[in-house]
Amino acid sequence: MRARPVLRAAAGGVSRRRVQTVVIFTVLLVSTAAATLGLGLLAAAAGPFQQAFAAQHGAHVTMAFDTGRATRAQLIATGRARGVIQSAGPFPMADAGLTGAATGSLGSLALVGRTSSGGPLDDLTLQSGRWVRRPGEVVLSSGVAWDALLGSTFTASTAPGAPKLTVVGIAASATDSADGWVVPAEVHALRAAGAPATAQMMYRFASAGSDAQIRADVAAITAALPAGAVAGSASWLAAQQLAQGTGAIIAPFVVAFGIMGLAVSVLVVINVVSGAVAASYRRIGVLKSIGFSPGQVIAAYVARVGVPAAAGCALGVGLGNGLAVPVLRRSAEAFSGASRSVPVWVDVVTPLAMLAMAGLAALLPALRAGRLPAVAAIATGQAPRPGRGQAAHRVLSGLRLPRPVTIGLAAPFARPARTTVTLTAVALGAAAVIFAAGLETSVARVTTDRSHVNPGEVSLWLANGGNLRPDGAQARKAVAAIRSQPGTLHYVAESTLSITASGLPGQVNAHLFGGDTGWVGMDMISGRWYRAADEVDVNSAFLSRAGLALGDHVTLVSGGRQFTARIAGEVFDPAGGQPVLFAGSQALGGSGLPIFQYDVGLRPGTDPGTYATALNQALGSQFSAGTNEAGGKFQQIITALIGLLTLMMAVAAGLGVLNTVLLGTRERVHDLGVFKALGMTPRQTITMVVNWVTGPAAAGALLAVPLGIVLHWAIIRAMGRAADTGVPADVAHVYTPAELALFALSALVIAAAGALGPANWAARSRSAAALRTE
Amino acid sequence: MNALIELSDVRKCYDDDDGRAALNGVSLEVGTGEAVAIMGPSGSGKSTLLNMIAALDRPTSGTVIVAGRRVDNLSETAAARYRRQRVGMIFQFFNLLDDMTVLDNVLLPAQLTGMPKAVAFARARDLLGELGIYDRRQAYPARLSGGERQRVAFARALINEPELLLADEPTGALDSAAGQEIGELLMNLNRAGHTMVLVTHSPELASRYASRTIRIVDGQLTGADRPIASTGAWR
Repeated sequence: MRARPVLRAAAGGVSRRRVQTVVIFTVLLVSTAAATLGLGLLAAAAGPFQQAFAAQHGAHVTMAFDTGRATRAQLIATGRARGVIQSAGPFPMADAGLTGAATGSLGSLALVGRTSSGGPLDDLTLQSGRWVRRPGEVVLSSGVAWDALLGSTFTASTAPGAPKLTVVGIAASATDSADGWVVPAEVHALRAAGAPATAQMMYRFASAGSDAQIRADVAAITAALPAGAVAGSASWLAAQQLAQGTGAIIAPFVVAFGIMGLAVSVLVVINVVSGAVAASYRRIGVLKSIGFSPGQVIAAYVARVGVPAAAGCALGVGLGNGLAVPVLRRSAEAFSGASRSVPVWVDVVTPLAMLAMAGLAALLPALRAGRLPAVAAIATGQAPRPGRGQAAHRVLSGLRLPRPVTIGLAAPFARPARTTVTLTAVALGAAAVIFAAGLETSVARVTTDRSHVNPGEVSLWLANGGNLRPDGAQARKAVAAIRSQPGTLHYVAESTLSITASGLPGQVNAHLFGGDTGWVGMDMISGRWYRAADEVDVNSAFLSRAGLALGDHVTLVSGGRQFTARIAGEVFDPAGGQPVLFAGSQALGGSGLPIFQYDVGLRPGTDPGTYATALNQALGSQFSAGTNEAGGKFQQIITALIGLLTLMMAVAAGLGVLNTVLLGTRERVHDLGVFKALGMTPRQTITMVVNWVTGPAAAGALLAVPLGIVLHWAIIRAMGRAADTGVPADVAHVYTPAELALFALSALVIAAAGALGPANWAARSRSAAALRTE
Repeated sequence: MNALIELSDVRKCYDDDDGRAALNGVSLEVGTGEAVAIMGPSGSGKSTLLNMIAALDRPTSGTVIVAGRRVDNLSETAAARYRRQRVGMIFQFFNLLDDMTVLDNVLLPAQLTGMPKAVAFARARDLLGELGIYDRRQAYPARLSGGERQRVAFARALINEPELLLADEPTGALDSAAGQEIGELLMNLNRAGHTMVLVTHSPELASRYASRTIRIVDGQLTGADRPIASTGAWR
């Protein structure tokens, strides 16, 4: 094949159809940038846990067993249970409360006896120090300790004789299999008097990709052992959820935007590229008539589309990175572990995939054109197939609307395939706007709902992070200072304890309030705030992991004492992820609990920052008061992401419309000349051309409203699941009818914005030139 | 004779034509009620001249006055209104809109002017009846013969009752029988009072149906006018 004529034909097409070339370039630029941004964010959010889990041969399930009910041999035999492909253990384990002289209490920790950090499963990463060699040494998990604790000595205060443990290392487990590790021989000595002997086993299963599969796997293990032998289990999915943190919460909507963005991009690219080739059939016929072979025709037109497409893809990757990096940087600042850059594979795969798609979109019509006889190609030309749209013209001409409007409304029926693609692109663009607006409202409401971390507008705590004795001088000083502030409306003492709860493995955070908490601004998903001493509220993670429901009773263990309480309500806990319990301090032993902080509710009009400053000045350096501002970095990141992705989708959809109208004006340039020769004014011409897309846009809007609502509902639910929380009604249902009507207009705005350029061109073009286009 | 059309030293150059003038200093007057044929070889500037009169294009220099009003410097909106009110155009290839019925094609110029629906329908019915194609009013152009299509084009050109008819090779795409029919139609319209400018290759058409013939070569008028009748029309 001679390349020169092909290149000349391609170059001629690129320069002759400048607007179309610019549209192809811009569509690929925006689409590639959106895909790079979306994939980059997803990969960055999901990456760290996957890598650590793979490197450590993480366990799909970590289980605790009562060794009084199952023998060591029985436990080892579970490694051959149905679905198990690998196992490790049993490792003896004990719960022990560790207290340091200088650092205070670390709470009750799950300590496991292991001879080494390695193994076939849960191959721990020793971040600092060394592994335990003898009794009296402990390696703490990076989840509960930090490097400064290396060399510190703690007392296992709950164990008989209060043995001492020196921290010799800090290790990380991808699945948080334990809070610390000791030599197996020491575990027995660390158990509280009367506590049952337990052991840990770890498993990998053939199928462990979902909660349902994990439940089935755990059921198989449970069935292989005597009743009551299983003391608890922890899934790698929960650990993944926790590790990915906000990444997991963001993922559903990034995926949704990614899929929608990709769908719009695909539609628009196919529409633009195939339309560009189809619009050139007449020229293709001429090329063939002067001797171009089918192969040369195909090559010329694929090259013609490929040049601007490749340029758009290349710059789109750069733009996507440029947009992603600030978001990723903010994400990394807010949440440890997040990547600061877009992975290389995203930068490579995205533009190649987009280019391949554009090439394919060009190839199909080019193949058809290449095979058409020259005369047929010339005859096919640019005009829509005769006969199409006649019925629509007939029906619409009877309406009491200005004739340019009805002519415009009838036009899309002449090109049903193109109209369908345009309609879909507009519907997706408008649905994205509706979805994004709803999501932003939901996120704003979520972040204004108080989490268990910050129930009041201002919190006051000891500067060294320690606890206050409720009847001590420091507590009296703090209460006096809070009461003396004119902005104080409510305050309550809050104790934070690590307890165990029936049905839940490991420790559970309990937030216990010493006073009236009716004012605390926590949103309820169902049920009500606790009223009695034997009532508690819990978050969704507590209920789902313990398999409990409202009204059930739960047994709580704190400081070796057992308490039974009824679950009165499910609290919306946007900080989610881990089981949390809320109750009055009476629920766990009365008012003598050490106070972690005071939560303060302010009088209307009081500025939290000013209030906190005044409180700090009144109490001096011993205390620290801070504001619990709603929103923060999470909201900023999500808002920025929503804005960016929505803008990109709207631009892509608008470009799709622009392209459709552009092709229409090119195809109908002769008809436009006739209209103008018959006396159609520029304003009437613009009205007519804009109305080419108002029909599809209106239909797109009608589709976009339910699509946007359903998408919002599904994504909010998915985000809730990712955060392991249910969603309260005020977060799930955010749209008002007036807002929806306004959003539906967004489809018309997108369409009108895309159509106005070509419409103006059509209005300005000289009739004589148009009429010469025979 | 009152001049309905006055062209003074009209020159038209296209950007892509290497500075060659499509019209080069054309001056011309056409009287009210006249039927003028413009003849010349391909590319001589006949259609360009017609476009100037219809305000479909603007001259590079010179003036075009129709019914006492300059039309060479009209805005696009004013030009569109001028065409609606004063000009009926007939093209060689009919320029009917394929996706509209005969009736819708004919009604279109009236609808663009905002003519009341009943009035427009009555006029369209009358015109289609006079032209013998009323029973084809719901047909689409693709179903019509060449002669029928041109009759539809005539009806469309006449619906707003323009005083000036501009016809660009109106029989060029028709067989001889249909061409003769259209010629008769032109003559009748002129007799009815319409001023007519007719671009044609056909000396026969010009001699039979025009009161005056203007020859144009390379953008310039060359031949002397040839009045067919001293009255300038067939009345």
